[in-house]
Amino acid sequence: MTPLAWASVAVFLVAYALIATERIPRVAAALGGAGVMLLIHATDAQAAFFSEHSGIDWNVIFLLLGMMTIVGVLKETGVFEYLAIWAAKRARGRPFRLMVLLVLITAGASALLDNVTTVLLIAPVTFLVCERLAVSPVPFLIAEALASNIGGASTLVGDPPNIIIASRGGLSFNDFLIHMAPMVIVLVGVFVVLCWLMWGRRFRFDPERAAAVMLLDEKEAIADRRLLWQSLAVLALVLAAFVLHPVLHYSPSVVALLGAGVLVAATRVTARESLAEVEWPTLVFFAGLFVMVGALVHTGVIGQVSQAAVNATAGRMEVATMGLLGGSAVVSAIVDNIPYVATMSPIVEHLVAAHGGELAQVLWWALAFGADLGGNATAVGAAANVVVLGIAARNGTPISFWEFTKYGLIVTVVTVTLVAPYLWFRYL
Amino acid sequence: MRARDLVADYPVVTLDTPVLEAARLMAEQDLPGIIVRGDDQLTILPGTETLRLAVPRYIMDDPALSRVVDEGHADRFLGSLGNRTVREALPQERRELPVTDPDATVVELAALMARTRSPLVAIVEQGRLLGAVTLQALLDRMLET
Repeated sequence: MTPLAWASVAVFLVAYALIATERIPRVAAALGGAGVMLLIHATDAQAAFFSEHSGIDWNVIFLLLGMMTIVGVLKETGVFEYLAIWAAKRARGRPFRLMVLLVLITAGASALLDNVTTVLLIAPVTFLVCERLAVSPVPFLIAEALASNIGGASTLVGDPPNIIIASRGGLSFNDFLIHMAPMVIVLVGVFVVLCWLMWGRRFRFDPERAAAVMLLDEKEAIADRRLLWQSLAVLALVLAAFVLHPVLHYSPSVVALLGAGVLVAATRVTARESLAEVEWPTLVFFAGLFVMVGALVHTGVIGQVSQAAVNATAGRMEVATMGLLGGSAVVSAIVDNIPYVATMSPIVEHLVAAHGGELAQVLWWALAFGADLGGNATAVGAAANVVVLGIAARNGTPISFWEFTKYGLIVTVVTVTLVAPYLWFRYL
Repeated sequence: MRARDLVADYPVVTLDTPVLEAARLMAEQDLPGIIVRGDDQLTILPGTETLRLAVPRYIMDDPALSRVVDEGHADRFLGSLGNRTVREALPQERRELPVTDPDATVVELAALMARTRSPLVAIVEQGRLLGAVTLQALLDRMLET
């Protein structure tokens, strides 16, 4: 490798360590790393801004922007609060039934929205209902964070790593529905059983407390019915356009942007209000990551690592698949899965091409399952976990790192172990 | 006109006073807030901050939930204050205190109230609390002139 390649590796490792340890804000670490890469000529403006393979992946950025705008409007409607309280009343105040319904709602919502938004919406209602039932909200909050990470794995838009994988691997929304969603449905079922074993069997039902839950009025959560129906209609159109990609040929980023545009144009929500809901630091973080990883591509580092991976797994697809699944789960348990997937995607792209294209697509699914499910293992493995811990602390019921991790580890080991035979028997 | 012309006696509580007691004082004497004697300085607890502590945090995070709570439970929400103290109700972040000297003009007082979003200003002379000027007193006097 050239001195410049070594220098780019050093910059990348320092930035990655800063992101992982959170010594400085992750946006600053990613932008700082990107800045130094440009400064030392490890990449240049042409590659950073215009190259499909070694620059900012605008498909990812604009898909996130569009979905954040749509979700920003949708969450103002109160539909999630409505659903959660409806679920609590349907459960008739029985704690485990309530947990199952909240898990299903969270997993389902996470398939369409990003995981952090889902837990931000579901956690406050959880506190309200648990207070009425006089049960600790902690098991419910942990279950919701874990369910959001499992549910998010099912679709292209469910989890940011999936968006990166789809863009890099040229995978469609339907590819995720066909290859990821069926197994995620099984995993959610298994997770419900785990919830029973970990918490459910210790819950006690109190009829008096249950009566207090039935007094909550979920209809009041809906502040603006017109906006609710408009938002749901646009969301349905966006999902239909994702699914109809083979006919319409609109890429997911274009669909999300058009959906966001229609929503703002058709409703009382102004462009300023909807854009205020966008998490700009996250988009900038992605841009910085892409420039950093692009520099590694530009200097040939990714090419060499990929070639080494191809040589190590030559003719042994099962080794590559299982290694990627397990390795991704372990790494994603320790560090944020977004930078991990951003780095691994160009390597997996090489591996897929080297192992025979279509048949080697399983590598993308191994990466997606490993990264998405691995995030459940520790309290810092996924953004949703960190957010849940923060909400719990603010509400006076702190969840320690180890309390979360002891349940997260069990769920990760069980789910990843189940994915291994799924990938083996279906693809290998 | 100066602050000394508008200042009036005002109740003072300490950081360890229960919020419920402070709230009762505000309600009984029709006060917009209360002066708190801290470890090394005076500060103001506006009435709205008392409410912030009484309203569960999850409702502050998601205002839509305030609408779903039934009337019976809503009527009893102040009870959740329990034994929490004024210390817990004061805002955590450092900010300008609504405290000034007796020579402040009405414009200074009005600017200080607007800036600090406080309905009263404590008047201190050489470290000694003289009392407070309330928004009500300030408006009454400003509109008279």
